[in-house]
Amino acid sequence: MNRSFKFILIICMLFAVIGASACIGEEKDRTAKGAGSVESSQELVVGISTDVSSWYLNMFAAGDARFVWSQVYETLVRLDPDLNVIPGLAESWETPDDGRTWIFHLRENVTFHDGSPFDADSVVFSYSNQSYVRQAVLKPVQSVETLDAHTVKFVLEKPMPLPFYLTHVAWPVMCPGCLDAEGNFVKPVGTGPFMFETQKKDQEIVLTRNEAYWGEKPLLDKVTFKVIPEAATRVIALETGEVDMVIKVPEYDVERLEAEEGIQVHRKLTTFTDFLQFNCDNSPFNDTRVRQSIAYAIDTETLVNEVLEGIGKPAGGRPYSPVMMYSDPDLETYTQDLDKAGALLEEAGWKDSDGDGIKEKGGTPLHVTLIVSKGVWAARHNPMAQVVQGTLREVGMDVEIQVLDEGAISKLENTGDFGMILRSGYFVWGPYPKHFFVHHSGSPYSHYHNETYDQLVNAADMTVDTQEQEELYHSLQSFVIEEVPAFYLVHEEKVVATGSSVKGYTISSEDPWLNLSGVYHGK
Amino acid sequence: MWKYIAKRLAMVSIVIAGVTFIAFSAMYFAPGDPAEVIALARYGEDLSASQIGTLREAEGLDAPVHIQYLIWVGHLLRLDLGKSLVTSEDVLAEILQKLPATAKLAIASLLVSFLIALPAGILSALRKNSLLDRGCMFVSLVGVSIPNFWLGLLLIWLFALTLHMFPSFGYGSLKHFVLPALTLGTSLAAVTARLTRASLLEVLGQEYIVAARARGLDEHTILFRHALKNALLPVITFAGMQFGYLLGGAVIVETIFSWPGIGKLLVDSIFARDFSMIQGCVLFIAVLFSLSSLAVDILYAVLDPRIRYDRHD
Repeated sequence: MNRSFKFILIICMLFAVIGASACIGEEKDRTAKGAGSVESSQELVVGISTDVSSWYLNMFAAGDARFVWSQVYETLVRLDPDLNVIPGLAESWETPDDGRTWIFHLRENVTFHDGSPFDADSVVFSYSNQSYVRQAVLKPVQSVETLDAHTVKFVLEKPMPLPFYLTHVAWPVMCPGCLDAEGNFVKPVGTGPFMFETQKKDQEIVLTRNEAYWGEKPLLDKVTFKVIPEAATRVIALETGEVDMVIKVPEYDVERLEAEEGIQVHRKLTTFTDFLQFNCDNSPFNDTRVRQSIAYAIDTETLVNEVLEGIGKPAGGRPYSPVMMYSDPDLETYTQDLDKAGALLEEAGWKDSDGDGIKEKGGTPLHVTLIVSKGVWAARHNPMAQVVQGTLREVGMDVEIQVLDEGAISKLENTGDFGMILRSGYFVWGPYPKHFFVHHSGSPYSHYHNETYDQLVNAADMTVDTQEQEELYHSLQSFVIEEVPAFYLVHEEKVVATGSSVKGYTISSEDPWLNLSGVYHGK
Repeated sequence: MWKYIAKRLAMVSIVIAGVTFIAFSAMYFAPGDPAEVIALARYGEDLSASQIGTLREAEGLDAPVHIQYLIWVGHLLRLDLGKSLVTSEDVLAEILQKLPATAKLAIASLLVSFLIALPAGILSALRKNSLLDRGCMFVSLVGVSIPNFWLGLLLIWLFALTLHMFPSFGYGSLKHFVLPALTLGTSLAAVTARLTRASLLEVLGQEYIVAARARGLDEHTILFRHALKNALLPVITFAGMQFGYLLGGAVIVETIFSWPGIGKLLVDSIFARDFSMIQGCVLFIAVLFSLSSLAVDILYAVLDPRIRYDRHD
């Protein structure tokens, strides 16, 4: 073989590996900025995991869409970073009859992004019975009426703390101008600090500053949300400077990012709490002592420290995250006590008579299933389930972990053919009382039936007096600790990381919410 | 020849019919009530029994399964793949909109794989059992064995994070092509290189090559004018199949690099439980794959006169 041919071949290979890449495209790439460079323009690039697939009130804004919605749309009532209820588009509100009627006094001189005025009609439009929220959550709402241009009346069929519900970012006020004359959705028009500019499906969403914003004007000119589904890529994009902010940083990346120069990691407890739900209709979990035994067996501190790299706070059975309104600071939570756990099981009739380490009762071994959902929470829940499995083995319980699709889980829930389900706390946000419904007989997710509990939940949801609410929610929390319809494991912590030039960001406890009002690029 | 093509076409239609059946029944064999699955995709976790009931009627899910299948196939024949359960957008339009990104990446990856694999395979064959050969084959073994998601992240780490040469994600400029194409291309190249080597070795051992040598032709002419032409046939077949596969979207690589193609569309739909979109993607990918292997078979028959496909000719 001649030399020149060999030479050409080798050159070819080199060209393929390095040449093909290095010399391609002299074109300037806006996104590849390189770490450490300080932006002169006030554009913030945020990495999120899912695109916004719906912008309209007939659908639920799922996944990370809510971070984008919260820039464009606003709600009547808001929560501050520490979950205190503050005025939003409504300046004040009152209930003349203890929660059956709610009157909201709207902020004046607020305009939508298309220049049309924000008024009572737009509120009626946003909470019509076409809206997702009316169909799914606010079913007791009978009518929404305008009293005058800036006053709206909500009439409910039973008392409800409506302002709590109206803080949810996925149920905001939209402009009737979102629709064309035929009633088809055209584009998102809200009152928020940023206006919708463009969307490239599954790639990016560009928002620009709303110059006419009624509140504190944003310092940023532009916000670009880049859709990066893979968590590892999202974090790297922050490290290379391609994005300025990443929401939902994986637990295992936190320590590394915190050590990295120029990157700031913001952490705050959210309202979400992971929990182990029991099938209280069937054996063995129809016995309260068995459920209590599990509460004594599991060390939630180990879960946080060993599985979640110290991100989050051990719950020890506490259903309400400490950041939440009405979370009982004096609640007596569980600490691990394996002897007590074993004793409770024996008391319930479960004894290890054949010495194989698994307890039996009437010849049946103590074998239970633990269901973990596939999907976004799996990365977190799988290792947690394994730790739970190992711990419960120590007290003589044989746990089988099943990782299943949501559809399969709901099928098992219907037939009652399961022991425990590991769930995330997406059932709750803000001071919103809905979470306790999860164990209420009326909930499709409930596997616990207790009249006292149901009555407490109903009473709490129908009360508007804050003193009474506090008492009722405190008693619900003690009830959950004692009766253990579910064992609450970890209060989730939200992690947001920002690049070196990003200043003025305050992390909020509200989970799907992003406040960019004070954010800017600086040195 | 024509008979052969007709026969292959008939077989492809059977395969596609089978795929429609599987794609449809996936919805039914999937655990859970389809109406509930759709309701979950559309309305999130807050569900009531009446919502599911209304939806069941509105979507025609209360009809018997075989009727539903026939209705669905009827729509398919009119190229109507239905609407996305989540966004209500037309499934086919959505897929066709994603096709260019996937096709471009497929072509770029194939190009990268040829640029690496052909020289490596040819050199290995010519220097059989030499250090170079063993080196190349070892590297290609590693290439086959490294999973794409890991290679992709490694390349991101090296070229994006450490060297700042290329963007780590996204789609748009030429620079965005480099890392995903390199990831896909190198793993394809590994197989292609081994195939090139094996095929060339086989051809080089044949009598007409010996005859050519005996006629005193130089190695250069033997290799390029006689051996390679024949040796590359299986390589081209393989590349064609790979192309069909790549057109179906490189699911993992597209997800890692946030590449807005069909593979990522499929993954997103799975996470969103968007069943009509999943069905549409699966069907589309299966059809593309069948058609590209059909094209390869026909091409093969045209290129290689030795192969008599139709014995009755």
